[in-house]
Amino acid sequence: MLKQGPAKKVTVYVGEDVHHHGEPLYFALLNYLFYHGVSGATVTKGVAGFGADHHLHTARILEMSENLPIKIEFVETPAKLDELLPKLLQMVGEGLVEIQDTTILKAATAIARQPAPPRATLQGKAKIMRIFIGEDDRWHGKPLYDALVESLRANDIAGVTVYRGISGYGAHRRFHKERRMSLSSDQPIMLSAIDDEAKIRAYLPILEQMVHEGLVVLSDVDVIKYTHRLEPERDDKETAS
Amino acid sequence: MTLAGPARMIRIYFGEDDRWQGQPLHQAIVEEARRQDLAGATVFRGVEGYGASSRIHRKHLLTSSDLPIMVCIVDDATKIDAFLPTLERMVFEGMIAISEVEVLRYTHRAATEPST
Repeated sequence: MLKQGPAKKVTVYVGEDVHHHGEPLYFALLNYLFYHGVSGATVTKGVAGFGADHHLHTARILEMSENLPIKIEFVETPAKLDELLPKLLQMVGEGLVEIQDTTILKAATAIARQPAPPRATLQGKAKIMRIFIGEDDRWHGKPLYDALVESLRANDIAGVTVYRGISGYGAHRRFHKERRMSLSSDQPIMLSAIDDEAKIRAYLPILEQMVHEGLVVLSDVDVIKYTHRLEPERDDKETAS
Repeated sequence: MTLAGPARMIRIYFGEDDRWQGQPLHQAIVEEARRQDLAGATVFRGVEGYGASSRIHRKHLLTSSDLPIMVCIVDDATKIDAFLPTLERMVFEGMIAISEVEVLRYTHRAATEPST
């Protein structure tokens, strides 16, 4: 968050049709600033201008592509700039970058929506369990993958995600393939569940009763982040007026 | 075929439009894995992503969409290692990652059971 007092203002000038890895450069720069936690940035499109190449860029109504000047401005602390500038300058390439001292009279305030502290914690060394089954596999009349998700949840496993594959083969050597025309297609399904080793291993006897055909593998993972929002929305401190 | 205890998992990442000798690369890899008798292979299509070329693969309505593909293969270390040279020949642009896994279960119904 920016505070009242001295800061730096950076202005970057680039052309509208300059690209960076397949997307407009100004957009790539904006994304870079956004994902590096810059407090705010504004992109403005010029009406006309010229730059280092001394080509006059104007709006040409009859042409499909315009190359108008684009200006990106943002305000940050000097410390933050030291971190941002090397990569920024490398991305800007031929464009112009200027920096000036500025003073923040009043910092913009975001509507406070602090995420609640996580209740369940899962950190550091954990295990990922991947279960490979077929989409048509069933357990007591319901899809096996649905039943597995429910049973994992009932057993307090931290989380599970179901993926549908487009083709593959498994233990029975039968080939699963995407068939757009047929009503039922036995495509491969993979579930990946992550939790600490003890909880995963405690779940295995249940899994063994449910999975009659398939592959289950376990490997190490490091959990970097495991968070969720505070559950009931109405618990929010700020109540709607 | 049995598979238990320590094993290896390869994940191969490339684009859906990649081809090998005229057929889709993911199809070619699965067929080759089956020929080499590997325990199983699964192909997944991603929703969005970017890779070595830094181009974002995303679904476009009008243009062709080169979505990310991941092929996942699990088998014991010897068989996986023996499969790697073949893979390296087939995957020109993409990534191959290997991790150690522990097989908890690898089963199939009796072959005599009628399959529908």
